[in-house]
Amino acid sequence: MSVRTRPPSTSGGYPTRQGARARKSARRHAWRAAVEGYLLIAPSLAGFVIFLLAPLLGVALVSLFDWNLMGDPEFVGLRNYTEMAGDSEFWRSLRNTVYYVVLNIPAQTVLALLLALALNRRMRGRNLFRVIYVLPWMAMPVALGIVWTWVFDPEYGAINKMLGVFGIDGPDWLTDSGWAMPVVASVNIWQYTGYTMLFLLAGLQSIPVSLYEAANVDGSGPVRTFFQITLPLLRPSLFFVLVTNTIGSFQMFDTVYVMTQGGPGGATDTLTFHIYQQGFQLFRSGYAAAMAMALFALILLVTAAQFLYFRKRTIYDFS
Amino acid sequence: MFKKTGLYAFLIIGALVSVAPYLMTLNSAVKQPDKLLTTPAWEPATSPTFANFSQVWGEYDMSSFLWHTFVVAAVVTVLQVVFSCLAAFAFARIAFPGRELLFWAYVATMMVPQIVTIVPLFLLMRQFDLVDTYPGLILPYVFGFGAPYAIFLVRQYFKTIPVDLESAARIDGASTMTVFTRIMIPLSRPILATLATMTFVNTWNNILWPLIITNSDRTRVIALGIATLKSQYASQYNLVLAAAALALLPLVAIFLAFQRNIIRSIALTGIK
Repeated sequence: MSVRTRPPSTSGGYPTRQGARARKSARRHAWRAAVEGYLLIAPSLAGFVIFLLAPLLGVALVSLFDWNLMGDPEFVGLRNYTEMAGDSEFWRSLRNTVYYVVLNIPAQTVLALLLALALNRRMRGRNLFRVIYVLPWMAMPVALGIVWTWVFDPEYGAINKMLGVFGIDGPDWLTDSGWAMPVVASVNIWQYTGYTMLFLLAGLQSIPVSLYEAANVDGSGPVRTFFQITLPLLRPSLFFVLVTNTIGSFQMFDTVYVMTQGGPGGATDTLTFHIYQQGFQLFRSGYAAAMAMALFALILLVTAAQFLYFRKRTIYDFS
Repeated sequence: MFKKTGLYAFLIIGALVSVAPYLMTLNSAVKQPDKLLTTPAWEPATSPTFANFSQVWGEYDMSSFLWHTFVVAAVVTVLQVVFSCLAAFAFARIAFPGRELLFWAYVATMMVPQIVTIVPLFLLMRQFDLVDTYPGLILPYVFGFGAPYAIFLVRQYFKTIPVDLESAARIDGASTMTVFTRIMIPLSRPILATLATMTFVNTWNNILWPLIITNSDRTRVIALGIATLKSQYASQYNLVLAAAALALLPLVAIFLAFQRNIIRSIALTGIK
């Protein structure tokens, strides 16, 4: 974040005359910048306070109450949090969420990187490939959930029919507690790999060709070049992709809502889905709010860890 | 030569996987209901029919669902783009007091998951009698869920525009608004296209907020409509797939129309 030491460049410079007039002009200028600045952000700031900051404080407050959204809220202090700590369903949904992220992020990032490397050269049909790879990104997860339910239908689905061709008897994917989560995660991997690839490809293209030429002259092989040049210089893009995709994955809801409703036996009950159920189906709003705070804390922790890990190794300029 | 073939094979397999679910959905939605279950999904429909589409269209108010979704997504997109641009301009170019603090407050809230603010947002909407209305659906999208990210995105782009351009205009007597509308906005078309696309797609596809705030058909969006349909007709794949196709295809159509701009601009956001 850069802090301007010079007066802002909103008027294209100051009168060069010194003394009282200049000071007066600078004061008027600062005053005008303040007015203009706040007028410009006013609509956004008002919305930010009403629809983001206030609800954020609100959720912290609600988490201290026992409340069903109707009746009178009863203040219970930290009891929702202590209940949470001993609630095996909460811990299961936390484990499920982490499992989902772990299934999702590495597979998606590695696949995206491979595709980006394959596309990072002059070749015929490159634009067509890019268009096709981004198509999954815009698909509605709810609709995809329907499509996937059908593709993985044990009797009529494409997957088991295809396995049947090879004489394999496919499992009952979505009602098998071992398979349900990988199947749910595959929706997300399918959806975001191409999109992630676009970012990585843009990162690859910003690496100067001269570096590769120099490496080539020095007799560096393709593997070494990849680890010594490509990967280090791709770190800003990788960082961006990992942080945003991880935050997104921790919030997965739609697919589970449509495909499994958290089942079988809670095997796909992710945190967001669990919070939704507790808050809006069982109307335990205070408890749901406490779990929402936990989810937020978890995302903050993971994001901070990613920042720290990458900060040592990359320069990501926010200014 | 061998290497190149392998490369193309890899890319083509990836491309097939990317389009297969779309194609199978469309293919199956136009199959006769009895054929749908007896033939594999990849086998082309021999005698295509629109019966499945007309049945969901008739039994369910699909046209209203699509219309509601379109209204919400379009209004959210327009408002989001306008307000983000104004705020991003102030954050990028005007040294007003408290700017750094406010900007970091925005950045910090980019990590707030949608589920976290939903209980208080619902209470807020109930307080103002906005449950099951367009404003109730629209406002949190514009100002809450995606807003900090949108502002961050546009501000980062504004910062790459040379200050000299602005200074030159200022010397010629241009006001702040003139600089904004004549310099910043025209030079930022790629990022605005990205933001508009992302906002439209995210709003179109989102189900969590509509699930909370909608309780009748009055403003029901398509995501909610097909989720309900699926829970009622889980086994009638011909109907739910036709409905899924109706929810998927409008975005594909929009994307194909603007694909050149969208692809170029999405990639931009990653390089900051």
